Amino acid sequence: MIALPCLVIVPLVGGLLAWIGGRKWPGTRVPWIASLATLCVMTAVLLDVTIRAIGRPGPWLAHFSAPWIPSLGITLRADMDGLSLVLLWLTGVLSFICVLLASRDETQRPGLFQFLLLTTISGVNGVFIATDLFLFLFFWELMLVPMYILIVLWGHEAREAAAIKFFLYTQGGGLLMMLSILGLVLLHYRHTGVLTFDYFALAGTAMSGRASILLMLGFFIAFAVKLPVVPLHVWLPDTHTQAPTAGSVLLAGILLKTGGYGLIRFVVLLFPDATAQITPLAMVLGVVGILYGAWLSLVQTDLKRLIAYSSVSHLGFVLLGVFSGSTLGIEGAVMQMVAHGLSTGALFAIAGSLQDNLHTRDMRRMGGLWGVLPHLSATGLFFAFASLGLPGMANFVGEFLVLLAVWHVSPVIAVLGAFGLVLSAVYSLTMVGRVFMGTRSSDAPRLPDFGFRQMTVFGLTMAVVVLLGLYPRPVLDLVHPTRPDVVSVLSQSAGGNGPG
Amino acid sequence: MMPTFSALPPSVVVLSLGTMVLMLAITIKRSEIIDAVLTLLTLLVALAVLPMGAAPSALFAVDDWHRFSSALIILSSIGVLAMSWRDPTVREAHAPDEFYLLLLMSALGAVLMTAGRNDITFFIGLETLSLSLLGLIGYRQHRIEAGEAAMKYVVLSGVSSAILVFGFALSYAETGSLVFAAPHALHPVEPLLAAMATVLVMTGMFFKLSAVPFHTWLADVLEGTSIPVAALLSVVSKIGLFAAMLRYFAGFDLMTPGSVSDEVTAVALLSMIGGNLLAIGQTDLKRMLAGSSIAHIGYLMVALLAPGAFGLGSAGFYLAAYAAATIGAFAIMEAVSPNHTHLNSLQGLFRTRPALALGMAVMMASLAGIPPAVGFFAKVYVAVAGVSAHRDLLLAGLIVGSVMGLFYYLRVVRVMLMPATDEVSTGRIAAPGNAVLISALALVTLVLGVYPSLLIPRNPIHLGADVEAATLPVSTQTAIR
Repeated sequence: MIALPCLVIVPLVGGLLAWIGGRKWPGTRVPWIASLATLCVMTAVLLDVTIRAIGRPGPWLAHFSAPWIPSLGITLRADMDGLSLVLLWLTGVLSFICVLLASRDETQRPGLFQFLLLTTISGVNGVFIATDLFLFLFFWELMLVPMYILIVLWGHEAREAAAIKFFLYTQGGGLLMMLSILGLVLLHYRHTGVLTFDYFALAGTAMSGRASILLMLGFFIAFAVKLPVVPLHVWLPDTHTQAPTAGSVLLAGILLKTGGYGLIRFVVLLFPDATAQITPLAMVLGVVGILYGAWLSLVQTDLKRLIAYSSVSHLGFVLLGVFSGSTLGIEGAVMQMVAHGLSTGALFAIAGSLQDNLHTRDMRRMGGLWGVLPHLSATGLFFAFASLGLPGMANFVGEFLVLLAVWHVSPVIAVLGAFGLVLSAVYSLTMVGRVFMGTRSSDAPRLPDFGFRQMTVFGLTMAVVVLLGLYPRPVLDLVHPTRPDVVSVLSQSAGGNGPG
Repeated sequence: MMPTFSALPPSVVVLSLGTMVLMLAITIKRSEIIDAVLTLLTLLVALAVLPMGAAPSALFAVDDWHRFSSALIILSSIGVLAMSWRDPTVREAHAPDEFYLLLLMSALGAVLMTAGRNDITFFIGLETLSLSLLGLIGYRQHRIEAGEAAMKYVVLSGVSSAILVFGFALSYAETGSLVFAAPHALHPVEPLLAAMATVLVMTGMFFKLSAVPFHTWLADVLEGTSIPVAALLSVVSKIGLFAAMLRYFAGFDLMTPGSVSDEVTAVALLSMIGGNLLAIGQTDLKRMLAGSSIAHIGYLMVALLAPGAFGLGSAGFYLAAYAAATIGAFAIMEAVSPNHTHLNSLQGLFRTRPALALGMAVMMASLAGIPPAVGFFAKVYVAVAGVSAHRDLLLAGLIVGSVMGLFYYLRVVRVMLMPATDEVSTGRIAAPGNAVLISALALVTLVLGVYPSLLIPRNPIHLGADVEAATLPVSTQTAIR
């Protein structure tokens, strides 16, 4: 099946075309249109994959495999299950938000901008489908570079420090993961004499408790940096604040989700025993993240920083859900990832728009925007409500399911986590009050409100958030992550070698 | 061919003949074009005859490892040749002819080193290389910094050669043989003497490889020389020495803890951290690359300390990746501004000369080990070797070093992304040879990064018959004496 590699190749090629177009016809909208067209093609491919997947018998919905580095047992192997599919769709939707809203206004070197954006998306897509561990690592590292350049070139005042912080943290985590991958591969090699990086083959590796914990930790730290888990979240507030709007949306909406995805796919499913052992620690870290992030959000005056810290808080629920040890928890975690991606992505887009107009992110200098910018303010209000977990919206479903799952494991943690919801109501409403309500100073200039384009995009996003909030069943059914010992029917015909 | 010559590696024969022809040509008519063409031809022929075999002998090991590392050396020399063609700094004071002669001789020395199976053949190769490098470093003799660099190099090179020879002497006293291998491998009678001999030989090699703590000369020397010579110093001479070092330890059990493996481990760790620390603080590109090259020698030693299939394979791959990226970086510096190698000279390069900037970014990504450049796979490969040998401490060093390395590799990229200064570069077009070199290296770096299996031989590289060398009949050994 060629569709899976297309998900990686299409954005890459489209990005190159956008870049070339931008150089060839400077001052036009060619790169933007090329980028949009690329996303349309990508969505079409995704749609194709989805439609084909509907009739599939197995949990694995698509498969691709080709030789790559045979002497080290590395193949170009990609498989897609429901979890990947949901996250790929999230990526698709958010990329449209990025390109439609955020990046049209990047006037400096728009071609390069679109190229970097699409390369990042290409890497993220690769991460979501790769089932060869080397290939996964390749994509994992690949998506960092374009993001780094995006921040360095188009970021705000302290961009350079923020960009390097982002890179060092994630790269450090990635290198630890590299060691874990190699350790796992060589352990498998020692036992079986087969050198392979295949996810399915490695899942059956027999190992001692200590070895499995060590190997698992390498993966865990890499994903914990990305998710982020307190205390490895240090890079996040700075990076999100300094990144250009599209960068913030991409970071919060998608890049962080690769951490959650990795935790499910490569920690919980690959090392079930070791996961059980660190569950208490992970739970505590999760709840600390929820409360700490929420607490810091309360005192922020910088709008983007507030949203960034709220991300730390919301993604604590993902950690809780993933480590709750139940399907319910994982369903909740994925729902929370999707909901957070949509709502926080939208909030960052709104914050970016405000900054473009007001030239400040300081909430003390905002206020009373409702009268001036009714559309923008209403949108902001909606997503603030979504983000605080108002029932009827996707975030509520995610948080509720996670808390339910955690309650069976540890009521104390569940209660503490629920406090996070209270705090999130406080900071979200404070934000709404400070930014949109109140009185506006009379000498403020007139500001352009959201027009048709923005309202369409945000309207559709709102519809998705509400739809998922009211009828989450289809997504929840899809996201049961597939255990690696369930080998794809698709790959068996191609000579797949699961451990059985 | 006479039987005496049939044992010589064919490339050594070609390179020696080429050197003589070039010398003759210079005496007849001084012409840079003739010199360059002759040098290029010699190198190409030497490359072409690499697959040929040679009669087995106690002096040379004409094996896969020799072929692989010699191919790298010759290709790198061709790269340096392309870089120095029309380079103003090379011949600002002097006729350029001897530059090519010395270049050819240094390639000869390095190739000889990779094949040396005997202390004497190795030492001849090493000295050929060192002396030609000395000539190259001091080539711009009117420049005070060139004199300083040459002086530094000659003193330290001399000292390290002396240490090395002393080590050989001890080794001879212990084993009664001049086989180029760590004496431990030859069943020592006197373990202390054997260990001392090994440590001294290693120290001598570390000096030349500029591993920490014997690294202090490298940054100064690179700064004082022209860019092509700096590339030669940090690539060709290091490949030759590292290849020889691998051969030296081929029969030695580095896995059992002992003074020797401890020393190598310590030097490797120090090099990774020290090299990166040195590079972080630099604002001069040549000094920065000196630090980077020290750190890479440290990473390479992880492969050295992980004997077995992975160790040798990853060492070879890493050397290739390192050589391509380092020569590429120097070539781009040469194309941007041959005389001014401050970091500032790259400022705004993405705007003024985007192709060069992109090339530099690829090279930096490769050195930093970021995909899709080849350095990423090289680093993973070396880490595979390290993990397979349980070198936990070294792997930790590799990670810390890599993260530190990001600082300065990314800084180069960042400077290039910055807006150009007012004094926009003159728009000097890269010399054709250099342009070809840069594009070829960028292409190689990217293609190998995506398809590394192109450079991984189907069968693992063979490191000669070192066991056979260790058990050579005494008659041949005495014959050598």
